[in-house]
Amino acid sequence: MKNQSEKYETIISLLRKSKPVLDSTDEIERVVLKRIKIVHRSGLYLSELVDLLFGWVYIGWVRRSLIAASAALVLVFVYQQGVILKRIDVLSKQTVIIDKEKTTTPDTEIEKLLMTYKNAGRKFPFNTVTLSERQMDELLESIKELQIKYKDLEDLIEGDPELKKLIEQKLIESNRNKINL
Amino acid sequence: MTDIQLIEECRGGNFNNFRKLVTSTSPFAYSVAYRMLGDEDQAKDVVQETMVTIWQKLNKIKSAEVYKTWIYRIVVNKCYDQMRKRKRNPEFVADEKTWEIIAGKFSEGPSATLENGETSKIIGVLTDKLSPRQKAVFVLSDLEGMSNDEISEITGISKSAVKANLYYARKSISEKIGKYL
Repeated sequence: MKNQSEKYETIISLLRKSKPVLDSTDEIERVVLKRIKIVHRSGLYLSELVDLLFGWVYIGWVRRSLIAASAALVLVFVYQQGVILKRIDVLSKQTVIIDKEKTTTPDTEIEKLLMTYKNAGRKFPFNTVTLSERQMDELLESIKELQIKYKDLEDLIEGDPELKKLIEQKLIESNRNKINL
Repeated sequence: MTDIQLIEECRGGNFNNFRKLVTSTSPFAYSVAYRMLGDEDQAKDVVQETMVTIWQKLNKIKSAEVYKTWIYRIVVNKCYDQMRKRKRNPEFVADEKTWEIIAGKFSEGPSATLENGETSKIIGVLTDKLSPRQKAVFVLSDLEGMSNDEISEITGISKSAVKANLYYARKSISEKIGKYL
């Protein structure tokens, strides 16, 4: 074991003594300097370009003005957003008429109420409409009147065959147009 | 001018002083790299890479001690990279002739010296079964004469790990010497 240890020490001291010798540093210097100069130069070009494009932001008053302008833009944007959201909120509570229909101007109060209900559609559910007794009477009166007028019209049409034929033709055409549409 | 003074000059982009730094640093960087890799060209490549890395990180070097540790650390890490590449393409093959060289030098006694080529073959044959880390610890400790503290700083492993790796490396090499000599 001691012998082995002595052999180890002998070989190691031989290796330690025989330091590897670098014949010349010239080649290493040349290659290293070439590489670092390329990196340095490309770094310079880049920093020069950045300075050219953005160097003006380092000027004091320019920078302050830009900051103020950015802050103003942000405030304007926030205000606008608030206005838009408020407007959307108001519009969503309003009745939207999406149906086109020829109507006569409502005369009585009940007619106005019923027209509003009809135009509002789902936004105006039936059970929220409150009618007084007088309004109910008015409603019934107008339905009765309508029925009488309709009966008169029917008799008139039945009495005049030519008129009946004309009306039927017009109805057919009108239905056809509707279908085409 | 000391290394640290040269470094101060180099931070300002002084290529001439960096050339001097390369000249003063390359020999001992080469010694470690050559002992670890056993190949002249690969060792020179490692030295070049090391110096380029040093140039890029000049700002981080604050003292001569830090500089020296840095050099060794970069050299060792670059050697690990080379060894990893080599594992994919193993080149070195131990042969009987190397043992004859060792036996011959052994019998010459204390006056024996080795050339670069002989050094690389002997180190290669003695350490071919060691892991890269064990080899690094062996080279830094027994061949370069560094303390366990310094090796721990360079390799980034704990002192106890350094001792363990060194023990195993010495044991492996002693067994080989005992077997062949």
